[in-house]
Amino acid sequence: MALSRRDFLKTSIAASTAATVGLPVAQEAAAAVKASEAGWQWDKAVCRFCGVGCGIMVATKDGRLVATKGDPDAPVNRGLNCIKGYFNGKIQSGKDRLTQPLMRMKDGKFDKKGAFVPVTWEQAFDEMERQFRRVYAEKGPTGIAMLASAQKTVQEGYAFNKLFKAGWRSNNIDPNARNCMASAVAAFYSVFGTDEPSGNYDDIEYADTMVLWGANMAEMHPILWSRITNRRLGHKDARVINISTFRNMSSDIADLELIIKPNSDLAIQNYIAREIIARDAVNWDFVNKHCVFATGPYDIGYGMRPTDKYAFAAEKDVQAKELRVKLDKYEAIAQRRKEGEVVEQKNTANPAAHWLISFDDFKRAVEPYTLDFVAELAKGDADEPLDRFKAKLKQLADHYIDPKRKVVSFWTMGFNQHVRGTWVNEQCYMNHLLLGKQSQPGNGAFSLTGQPSACGTAREVGVFCHRLPADRLIANPAHRAYTEKQWNLPARTLNPQIGSFYAKILRDLEDGRVKWLWVAVNNPFQSHPNINHWLKAAREMDNFIVVSDAYPGVSAKVADLILPSAMIFEKWGVYGNAERRTQHWRQQVMAPGEARPDLWQALEFSKRFKIKEFWGEQKVPGLKAEGYEDGKLPNVLDEAVKMGYSPGATLYEVLFATPANRKYRWPDPIAKGHPNSVATLLGDGWFPEKALWQEYVPFTRGDGKDLADFDVYHGDKVRGLIWPVVDGKEVPWRFNEQYDPYVKKGAGFEFYGKLFKAIPRGDLDKVTDPKPVSVAGKAKIFFRPYAAPVEQPDANYDLWFCTGRVLEHWHTGTMTRRVPELHRAVPAAVLWMHPDDAKARGLKRNDLAWVESRRGKIQIRIETGGRNAMPRGYTYAPFFDEGVLVNKICIDAACPISKESDYKKSAVRVYKA
Amino acid sequence: MNLSGILVAARPEWLSRVVADLTALPGVEVHQVDEATGRIVVVQEAADIPAEIEGLKRIKALPHVVIAEMVYHYLADDRHVYADLPPELSAQDSQAGAVPAYLND
Repeated sequence: MALSRRDFLKTSIAASTAATVGLPVAQEAAAAVKASEAGWQWDKAVCRFCGVGCGIMVATKDGRLVATKGDPDAPVNRGLNCIKGYFNGKIQSGKDRLTQPLMRMKDGKFDKKGAFVPVTWEQAFDEMERQFRRVYAEKGPTGIAMLASAQKTVQEGYAFNKLFKAGWRSNNIDPNARNCMASAVAAFYSVFGTDEPSGNYDDIEYADTMVLWGANMAEMHPILWSRITNRRLGHKDARVINISTFRNMSSDIADLELIIKPNSDLAIQNYIAREIIARDAVNWDFVNKHCVFATGPYDIGYGMRPTDKYAFAAEKDVQAKELRVKLDKYEAIAQRRKEGEVVEQKNTANPAAHWLISFDDFKRAVEPYTLDFVAELAKGDADEPLDRFKAKLKQLADHYIDPKRKVVSFWTMGFNQHVRGTWVNEQCYMNHLLLGKQSQPGNGAFSLTGQPSACGTAREVGVFCHRLPADRLIANPAHRAYTEKQWNLPARTLNPQIGSFYAKILRDLEDGRVKWLWVAVNNPFQSHPNINHWLKAAREMDNFIVVSDAYPGVSAKVADLILPSAMIFEKWGVYGNAERRTQHWRQQVMAPGEARPDLWQALEFSKRFKIKEFWGEQKVPGLKAEGYEDGKLPNVLDEAVKMGYSPGATLYEVLFATPANRKYRWPDPIAKGHPNSVATLLGDGWFPEKALWQEYVPFTRGDGKDLADFDVYHGDKVRGLIWPVVDGKEVPWRFNEQYDPYVKKGAGFEFYGKLFKAIPRGDLDKVTDPKPVSVAGKAKIFFRPYAAPVEQPDANYDLWFCTGRVLEHWHTGTMTRRVPELHRAVPAAVLWMHPDDAKARGLKRNDLAWVESRRGKIQIRIETGGRNAMPRGYTYAPFFDEGVLVNKICIDAACPISKESDYKKSAVRVYKA
Repeated sequence: MNLSGILVAARPEWLSRVVADLTALPGVEVHQVDEATGRIVVVQEAADIPAEIEGLKRIKALPHVVIAEMVYHYLADDRHVYADLPPELSAQDSQAGAVPAYLND
């Protein structure tokens, strides 16, 4: 029987699909697959998008991508793909892909007011270097900055981090992960003393109750959601609880749905803690052996500027709360104060300080969080009867407390993008620790990530203004000394002063502190809140902005120089996902035109600078550190010469193409015939991705963060490895003796993270004995109070506004809007609102409306149905659409500890356009 | 032409009903059914790409479907599709890099 080409393909696709999900395939079908895939080369890779980290297989033929499929052997997704993942192969083929450097020019020269003109890489780097030197001469290391990314590969993050911190002696490099994961990290540090989750995705298949706190997993983590759905339907006692400020797709299979007011999660967690104590359900054996109790100051501000000098007139009333806050009636009860009391925010400079308290103090602190108090404060849907909401709160506590139930709590941006994000993360551990339900299969608080390498690149490599690789900190002299030794730098090369965090880099641009900015793999001028300020700083001030991107997104258009970048399968790379799984991939195809990998951009640009230009004395305003003269970085050149460096050596030679790194040669048999653009373009015979990986891994070893060698990950059978990898074995549950060799034998559990493990003693209000006490091996159970959002609806701006993502698009849509399928599925952002709220404003579905806040206004279409159901008084719009710059209206308040922006709580008014 | 391989899962007791519903959908072919685990392999053909996305949503919305996720994607060389950028992005295409008006309001 002759099959048509189409039928033949269908048989082949069905057989491939079956094989991918582990179903038996008929012999004829297998033959069809073989025939239709003749000449294809399949290779394993990882998805470009979210933090779940699904494995995919990509097929190439004649240097072109021809097919993608879910990787059946990937433990994360077991062959499945979500709708974004499905189109991985298409994101690089958009019609407006950037293929050559573009610079603003007038009369053949760079001009800030000029139009974009194609230039060569040489011309682009010449101008970039000239501007760099101008700014560095005027401002020193604090005048330059990079907005980096949790979507960079590990090697890209590592190279840029080293170039900035060791080469240019500037700590002004901070990733978009700051706006995504920073609150999670701050809590991992304060509670456990080490970053990243205890468990892994297999927790889903062990859990009885899965609680989503501010995580719409059905849209944002669809493949994990399919595992949760499977568990819910396949296990008769499994239950799902969805806690959110509005009804979303995750409610579809939820057994219990709690619609809550913004920030009331802080109160609900304390209600659960109070119930645990009241029902005598504290796991005392676990708590006594493995935990201590702690708290910190409440008067920590909201992460806004301390001055209103740069505020728009309408912003000034909210901005003033950075200095002084009048407590409302709920805060008064929750913080044991008086309603109307004005509290000076005295701890904005040191918000993370904390101290030990007694269990009796802890118990006294949670006492006000009764069911009646919390239900009244937290009920978010005005149309829900209070008694029904109370019953739900009680059921929520029952699920946590039931000794027979294993409980996993998942969260993402609802917790992290929160003016008290660190606190609410800490509170989630509080309840799991009180119950002893942590670090065991199916039991644990599990922080999910938004981006593909928030963990692998931003966090593990330490591409933050205050971090160094593998949980080391800029502020810690021993950590700097270790890093200098690993990097072969003279002592005191590294700058001991913490750099500017993400929001601060943009504020520095506005107030003239930073004047040279490199943006790569993120889109700050669309994604950072309150963008009218930053657009002005970029376009109307004497600042030089370089943007490396694959498509002309908003930030590229705002730039002075655009560098065309290679995309995921056009380079070698590594991502690390939310379950500590490190996944490598090979380059599959070549980037189009002159587009080049970011790693090459860092390395090639570093050739233009010599150590003698940076390793002499440098002024750093405000620098104060032991062993350093105030305001100065020392001259370390003489020491460098003693170490054998020539003052004229380039940063490329000293930091990257070192003799040790040059031992890793390109070509390498591990490539199996795949290309390497970085090695080929550099042309000096080494294999940068492998060499930099091998240079990086010693940072992680022996410290509970161990990564394996480069070639191990490229093994045919390996589908990423969960770190720490000790003696070739992964550690699926950290801190648990049964799984983790870092735990002392016989201890059962040990929270061995080393950071912040010596703290003073105090009571609920203050430190009483400043002498640090060691809490080595223990996790901290924090008391953190309820605090109200800094901006709330009032007579002028009468609705809540929240922003986030939709399933079909990735963040700012730079890639996904180039896939016509995804664009057509959700072409433009809409504002979800309650039909009654729309009606009261003379609006109906599909009407065009203005949404206005203190910071700006946008035009958008109204949606009153569909996948989200807003309670009265609440609105939501995603931020992917560059035609509707939603972040113009968002407040740039942040968690003062983590510095992560709160995108979820602005006040707006909506009216007909 | 757009072809995708989709895994559908249903509780075994509903399997025949789901298979019947799937077969009734235009452009959908059921290629394999695993009685023991309730898994169904479907190949979907769609005239154009929005129809493909809608097709998947349609499958997800069928009664008793627990999972419907894409597994395999054939990257057809489809000029019609590749030429089609979102209109406002196309409009900017000719003036690559110009600051769009909406940044200036």
